Parts: sequence; structure tokens; C-alpha cells
Amino acid sequence: MNRELHCHITQFLTRETYLLDHRKYEEWLDMLADDIVYRMPMRVTKEAKDGPNLVEEMTFFEETKKSLTTRVNRLRTSSAWVDNPAPRQRHFITNILVEQGSQPNEWQVRSCFLFMRSRGSDIDVEQLFGERLDVIRNANEEWKIASRTIYPDQAVLGVMNLSMFL
Amino acid sequence: MSRNRLNEKTFQTLKQKMAEGLLPQWVVTDPEIYELELEEIFGHTWQFLAHESELKEPGSYVTRWMVNDPVLLVKTNSGELKAFLNSCTHRGSHLCTADAGNRKTFTCAYHGWSYNLEGDLIGIVAGDKVYGQEMKKDEWSLRRIPKIGIYQGMIFGNLDPKAMPLEEYLGDMKWYFDMLLGRSDGGMEVRGVPQRWVAHANWKMTSENFAADPYHVQTTHRSTVELGISPKDPLYAGYGHQVVLGHGHGINVITSATGRSAYRFQGLPESMWPMFERNLCPEQVDILSRTTVFVGGVFPNLSFVSPIHGTEGHLHNYLNFRVWRPLGPEKVEVWCWFMIDKAAPEEYKEEAYKGYIGSFGPSGTLEQDDTEIWARIVQASRGIMARDKELSYNNLCNYLMGFDRVEPDNTFPGPGIAYPTCYLDALSRSMHEYWLELLTRDLSGAE
Repeated sequence: MNRELHCHITQFLTRETYLLDHRKYEEWLDMLADDIVYRMPMRVTKEAKDGPNLVEEMTFFEETKKSLTTRVNRLRTSSAWVDNPAPRQRHFITNILVEQGSQPNEWQVRSCFLFMRSRGSDIDVEQLFGERLDVIRNANEEWKIASRTIYPDQAVLGVMNLSMFL
Repeated sequence: MSRNRLNEKTFQTLKQKMAEGLLPQWVVTDPEIYELELEEIFGHTWQFLAHESELKEPGSYVTRWMVNDPVLLVKTNSGELKAFLNSCTHRGSHLCTADAGNRKTFTCAYHGWSYNLEGDLIGIVAGDKVYGQEMKKDEWSLRRIPKIGIYQGMIFGNLDPKAMPLEEYLGDMKWYFDMLLGRSDGGMEVRGVPQRWVAHANWKMTSENFAADPYHVQTTHRSTVELGISPKDPLYAGYGHQVVLGHGHGINVITSATGRSAYRFQGLPESMWPMFERNLCPEQVDILSRTTVFVGGVFPNLSFVSPIHGTEGHLHNYLNFRVWRPLGPEKVEVWCWFMIDKAAPEEYKEEAYKGYIGSFGPSGTLEQDDTEIWARIVQASRGIMARDKELSYNNLCNYLMGFDRVEPDNTFPGPGIAYPTCYLDALSRSMHEYWLELLTRDLSGAE
């Protein structure tokens, strides 16, 4: 994988983080391909003999561009109380690993995420962490997220809701 | 002694205020009340553990919690369901720490004692060499959860060996469970595993919010009205009947201004309707056919909702059961099961699941804002004024909606006391009355 491509994709994800942290959700939607598959399967605690501890059958997110747009539109109403007053949020994206995807213009990108949120005057910090598996596509000189799967590391989420995007 | 400690007078005042439709705010998160609730309520009432569809094969198990009691629920070789305290009988170590799986035996990681699916102690490491006559193996089986009961595939446990049978406890709720869980051939099935997350909330308020409070819908979920997903009429969640059942249970049967839903049988495929008519009595068919949303609860901490929802413009029905597991006076672990008619077409199940993800659960566009409201209740209920038991600040929560005014509708075809509106505090009051009855059962004459 050449250094320039890695740098490009890293920049792309960093820009995405900036948009999410600053609630520029409409601009964020523009980074998503129209056919995006956006999912968040569940983590469970399993015995080693029972294989992977991920559940794909039940999820926290099972989204299309349309349903993500609905979620963004909801956050823009005056009565989405989780975001009014809005908590402060930061997405930290690290360990970015880029590999060639199944199409010539697609790359499979793994990253780790740490999401932290501060609500009102609460001293306790809400956090969520895990891994993301993205397919990032370059079409007509434009980069888009073609799919994203978010794997949380917690079996019991330590956040009071998932009003954010990861 | 602090003037704020619990005593008989406190409970007398509580009872008197509740008779006036008022609930002192101090009860919400009071630590002493919480300790009493664990013993007097969660130690004696039926708590939901799992649905039968989660335990398919012999050896299937799930681990659950009855507040702080770890529970191991297994399907034995004969297909029977058994529930044990998930704790080794040797030194008490947490025996099985996975969420679910399939096993023939359970072995403790501490000294290697092992148990079969019947809970019998079958293996002791170096038993013959280190134990003599002092070891009587059959006295060290896993401890059974004193009572287990199953109704329409719903498995409940009870920590009180003297508890009334589950069916008696559920009472008239059985009739509504039959309608929701028994309408289809083969009943309901759980998809995947329950979602779990932690909310800043008190279990009484989450139970009440879900089971008894359609009045909050128009404001808490106003964002969906603004989006055009929910109707503009502020009374929309109030049309229908609030049905108060025994033992703090109840259900809201939400229809519409006309008394009929725009979606017959909650928009379930027409091919399923003859099946509903075959499995249900005419009164149940009548209610099911013209209801938009069912929402209710089984005291103390099981709630359910059967709405119609969708994120892609078309609406689908599903059933969502949830347990509010208390983690403290201001914290609950939410367990949320997505359930759907086993007999529904696969395509319908898939769409219904997407409708659920878009509406309830931690990412649901409705539930997100509920979690915020629950947090606002506990954060404003821990101060000196809110917790003043002398009531010198009139620190009372208002449960006066419909009090002494709305009369039951005797023409409602289902059992229970049915009031002709869901904007009503009758069910909340009934939950809190049963709550107080259980809390004070052993306190007569005590100081």
C-alpha cells in the first residue's frame, strides 16, 4: 500500500471525525455513498469454544442512506432532547489499516474508535470503543464511504443512548 | 437519628399522599427505599428471565440476572427448563460467565467442581483423595431458583419459595399475553440476543414511563411529530383504553380518534388474519384488529410495547419486551428483546426488525429521548428539597390526571378495569399502590 494513498484515506477519516464532532451532519452525509450499508452488530460474552463473540443477527444500527438522513433530520428538530442541550462529543480514530478491496477503486479500511461524550454538568464521562470496518470507494475523483460496520467492544453499552454516529 | 430515616410515620404519610394522587418525590431514588425494594419487591415478585425461543437445544443455556442474583437457565436433556443460582456451591464463585451457549457440564474455574444440566455435582477434582466422609456430593448441587414459571413462552423466576404461582400473579394479564404472544401458530420468537445498555434512571420511573404513560409521547417524542412521522394531534397517544390489572400490571390499548386503527391488525400481512381469528376469542380479535399500539407492563420491571414503525416509509409491527434491571437507585441496565411472530413471512420479519432498530432500543429515534428524560428525573431528585420527608416544600409528584373523574368503561371487551382514555394516571397509581403494599407488608407495627 503506498504512503500517499494511506495518507489520503487517513485525512478523509480525520475530516469525517471533525464533521461528526462539530455536528456538521449534512456534510457528513455527503461523505456517504448513496448505497451505503451502515451497521453496528452486537458484542456478546461467549466461551472460547463457541467462536467469534459477535452477533450479526441483532444490531444497534441497521441503516441505509435514507434512514441515516432521517436520523440527521431528527437531530435538527427543536425537540430531539438528547441533543438539546447538546452533549459534547469526540471521536478518536486510530490504528488505520488500509487494504485493497474487492473492486479496483475500493479499499477496505480497519480502524479503532474511541467515542467520548460529556453531558450537561455530569462529571462521569460516557465512552464507547471498538473497531470499524469500512469500505471506502473512489468514484469520479471523489472519496465516499460505501459501507461501515461498527463492532463495539462492550457487551453492555456504557452510554445511555446511541444518538451519535460512529 | 436523622429526621429523614424511614419510619412508620413515613409510610403512613406516603399512603395518605398516594390516596390523594400524589407521590412524594423522595421515594424516587431514596437509598433506604432502594434497599427495601430489593428485599421486599425483587425478593418476592416474578421476574422475566428469557423467552423459550432463546433455548433451542438440550444443553442450551443463557445467563441472566435477577437484580444481583446471577441466574443460569438451562434446557436439560429431557427438554425441561431449569434455573439455578449461577454460583459454585463450593466457594460461591460465579460459575458460568458467558452470556449464552451450549454445554453438557458446567465446571467452576476455581477448584474444578463440575455440574450437569440438572445442577447435580458430578465431578470433584481429586475428590477421593482429598475428601472423606465429610463430602456428601448430593448435598452440594447447584441451588435452584426457588420458583420458575412459563407462560406463552415467557420464562419467569421468583426468589420466594412461598410466592403465588406465576399464572395467579399474572392474573388478567394472561388474556392480553394470549392476544400478543399466542395470536400466531408457533407463538413468537426472539431475534438474536437482547440488546443491553445502561441508563441513568430509577427502575420505578422507567417501568412507569413504559407501562403506564402514553401522555409523555407527544412531548418527549415531539421530534417525530416535527419530522411528520407521528401525528400532529396532541391527543393521538391518548385514544383508546388504559386497562388497570391486578398486582401493578396493566396495558394501554391505543387506537385512534375513531376507535379504529388505520392499520387493521397492526398492518400484519392479511394472510395471517385468519390465523389470528382461529387462535383468539372474538373479543381478542376485535381489540387486536383495531389497535395501533399496545404498551404495558408486568410489575415490577418487565415492560412491553407492540407498535407499528418503519424508517423507510412503510410501517411494520413487532413486539419489544424489556427488563429494567436495577443497578442502584439511579441506574438501570436495560435488556431489550426484539420479538416477532414465528409464522410471519421472512421478508416481513426483516422489515419489522429494521423498524424496531429505527424506533426503540438505544439507537431508536423514540427511545433516545426517553433516556434523556429518565436521567433528568434522577438528577433532580437527589437533593435536600426533593428528598425532604417532612414534605415542607410540598415535594410531591402529580398523579392527578383523571383522578376521581374518569370512570371505567364497562363496554370494553377485555378483562381488567378499562378507562376510556390512555392519558390517565390510573395505571401509574395502581403500580405505586402495589409497590407500597409490598414494601409495607412486613412493617405492621414496626418502628
